[in-house]
Amino acid sequence: MNLEYKKSIAWMRENLFSSIPSSILTVATSFFVLGFFRGLFGFAMASDKDWLSVLNNMQLYMVQAYPEEDFIRVWISVGLALVFAGTSIGLWKSTEESSLSDVFSKFMKVSLAFLFFTVVAPTFSSVTDNDGIIQTEESFPMETRLQLLIPSAILVVVFFVLKNLKLNYKFNKSDLLCFYLAIPIVLLWIIKLPTIQLDSSNQRIIPDPLMPIADTTKIPWTIIFGLFLAFYFIGSRFKDSKNMKRTMSISWVLLPLFIFSWIFKKPEIDLPTILGQDIPIFIGIFLVGALTITFINNPIVEKYFSIYLGVLIAITGIALFISIPILLKSALLLLVLFTIVIPAVSSSAKGKRNLIIVWGVSLFTLSVLIRGGSSDTQIIVQQQSIFGGFSLTWLLAIFGTYVSFPLGVLLALGRNSKLPIVRLVCTGIIELTRSVPYITWLFFASVTMAVFLPEGVNFELVVRVLMVTAFFSGAYFAENIRGGLQSIPKGQYEAADAIGMSPFQKTSLIVMPQALRAIIPTLVSSAITAFKDSSLVTIIGLIDFLTIGKVIIGTQSIPVNFVGHDRENLLFIAFFYWIFTFTLSRRSMKVEKRLGLGER
Amino acid sequence: MSIIKTNDVKKWFGDFQALKGISMEVQEGEVLVICGPSGSGKSTFIRCINRLEQHQEGEIIVDGIELTNDLKNIEAIRSEVGMVFQSFNLFPHLTVMQNITLAPIWVRKKSRSESEEKAMELLTRVGIPEQASKFPGQLSGGQQQRVAIARALAMEPKIMLFDEPTSALDPEMIKEVLDAMKELALSGMTMIVVTHEMGFAKEVADRVMLFDEGLMVEENTPTEFFDNPQNDRTKLFLSQIL
Ligand SMILES: Nc1ncnc2c1ncn2[C@@H]1O[C@H](COP(=O)(O)OP(=O)(O)O)[C@@H](O)[C@H]1O
Ligand SMILES: [Mg+2]
Repeated sequence: MNLEYKKSIAWMRENLFSSIPSSILTVATSFFVLGFFRGLFGFAMASDKDWLSVLNNMQLYMVQAYPEEDFIRVWISVGLALVFAGTSIGLWKSTEESSLSDVFSKFMKVSLAFLFFTVVAPTFSSVTDNDGIIQTEESFPMETRLQLLIPSAILVVVFFVLKNLKLNYKFNKSDLLCFYLAIPIVLLWIIKLPTIQLDSSNQRIIPDPLMPIADTTKIPWTIIFGLFLAFYFIGSRFKDSKNMKRTMSISWVLLPLFIFSWIFKKPEIDLPTILGQDIPIFIGIFLVGALTITFINNPIVEKYFSIYLGVLIAITGIALFISIPILLKSALLLLVLFTIVIPAVSSSAKGKRNLIIVWGVSLFTLSVLIRGGSSDTQIIVQQQSIFGGFSLTWLLAIFGTYVSFPLGVLLALGRNSKLPIVRLVCTGIIELTRSVPYITWLFFASVTMAVFLPEGVNFELVVRVLMVTAFFSGAYFAENIRGGLQSIPKGQYEAADAIGMSPFQKTSLIVMPQALRAIIPTLVSSAITAFKDSSLVTIIGLIDFLTIGKVIIGTQSIPVNFVGHDRENLLFIAFFYWIFTFTLSRRSMKVEKRLGLGER
Repeated sequence: MSIIKTNDVKKWFGDFQALKGISMEVQEGEVLVICGPSGSGKSTFIRCINRLEQHQEGEIIVDGIELTNDLKNIEAIRSEVGMVFQSFNLFPHLTVMQNITLAPIWVRKKSRSESEEKAMELLTRVGIPEQASKFPGQLSGGQQQRVAIARALAMEPKIMLFDEPTSALDPEMIKEVLDAMKELALSGMTMIVVTHEMGFAKEVADRVMLFDEGLMVEENTPTEFFDNPQNDRTKLFLSQIL
């Protein structure tokens, strides 16, 4: 221990106080950081702050006006995502291990942070009273500080000693992650939070009583966590199965689509339409595709293939503009896409059989999604959209990225294409989208877009916003990806050519994977930007996470008066955004490191 | 029977003529070494044989198929002709095993297990079976080039092209690559090798050619080429290199 002490002194001398300027810098920075935290803690603890305005509005923050009787749908969505997460963590179970000392050192850091707070927090903070006069008050009296200081100091010492016992138990990192996640779930059952209670004349009872967290929150979370654990164990059972991993990856892609078409809506499932319309369409289109795959290498068919494809494209083009079931339209589009790639993928009998299976499964998935998505939602809310609060932010960020990323890949490839017309169109889209500010596009979506849509076609505002967002961030993704494409040496293309790969295989197996890998940091920062920029939708009247805190809660007077309490809400919102973006960028650093193995 | 036949092949890069009419034939199982000063068109010529470059005049016939703009012919020829590059050009994001099995699986549509078995065989043949699960970045230059040879062989080509396969290597690694190439030559593979390794040419080649300024200026058996060169430019070249 003495040695460790000497080591840290040496480290400090070397890194913090190596010269006069660096010493000055160290002192000045510490001063600044301490001042910042003192200000922050003082702000948070002042008696004129009402943190219940945040706590009490959590439901509003998450789902806004989504009706309570349909909350089960939200829980199912969250649950499904966490079940998938559990399975994936199990399937891709880490092989790394942490020792017990590492765990204790984590706990020590948490208690250190707490100790830091109790030491640094200011005793006095300034408060604005009812007449707008600023006064100082004692918000953190010495006795309270001592009461907190002693236990947290003891905790630090205990964990420090435990850490230095060098206990050699090893835990798998994924198992540990589950253990850490269990902590907040257990706390849900133990912790009591201040709650707002009203007396008979609807006056707030002060002081606020402490109450356990409501069952409507903690029971669903507990069930979901149980499922998470169960699927984690199931996943880790199958961790050597490549097929399971592949299925899981595809399921992640499909998950948001299922949530939107089957869970966030209330689809009508009426059997006659399914039997009389969906199933015949499915079978018909499936047969056409399967026959094409089977006979593609027949010399006669091969000769007329381009004519067949042309006719198919023409029929689909017409079908898009006449009124037929939307499933038929989409299925025809999928058929065209499939027919284009068939010659590139199928030749052996086994390849054909696999392709027919893939074709059947994709078409089936499409049918299911369209049946869910095309029915009118029966969820009624006062506002114009069922999405508000964090679910809107989440929808814009995830779905925006989800659509814009593939779009960006296509645009980038198109811009590099040899065909002049494709190149022109893609360059046009990219340059047009990027040269207009996002806010202008939002106004376009809310005010002007209806003029450009064919008569009778009308999308909800959220969908219109999603469309412009997809194009806007798609254009940025495209330029990033194009940068990545340019970093691929010519030799890679030549090597792929020399072993006889088709242009499609060359792009999807050699060029794209390397290009995307090279630009992960840029992609992540684009995604983070998209996440934060989603708060701009407030100017066209959508109520996102930020708007709830700043506008709605700041003017809330029924049932409890929170007028003027927007500052604590803004702090909370900033913290919430920070948690998300910070986690995202840390994750991406890990992914980068892992993929870095394959680099030269 | 000649497996490669070129007739008066000409190639321009813009105004600059890189090939000024090359006519030659290669017999099945023959090992041909091409040497010549830098910029003389050696790479351009062998890259024309698998259509990495497009010639503008003359004709190239590989295994009875003429090279034209017809995509079918190009694909057919590329799967008959393997190529090894000066700078290896392995795929850095794939393991050695994946590098080798990529073409058999996606181009030849073979099963994964069959391709992996064959890949292990090839890795053993070039002497590095223990490196199968590593990434190219973790290998030495000589090992990388041997993986590149195995990758080309995995397509079971009839012809192998080598474009200065040892020029980017440290001297102590040259031998291991040349040994792999010798073994390949002895097994009866048709090979065109652009190289300045005169020892290799003397020992393995059936014929040696000298290129200069886009022309083939001398063609001879190795013994004649080195001991009794006919052309002045050959004499000059040999005096510079030996
Ligand atoms: N892509 C290209 N564009 C323009 N000039 C080229 C290109 N490739 C090769 N050349 C020129 O053609 C000539 C022959 O090149 P190359 O076949 O690479 O020579 P060698 O391999 O014999 O050193 C050189 O003068 C070179 O500058
Ligand atoms: Mg060269």
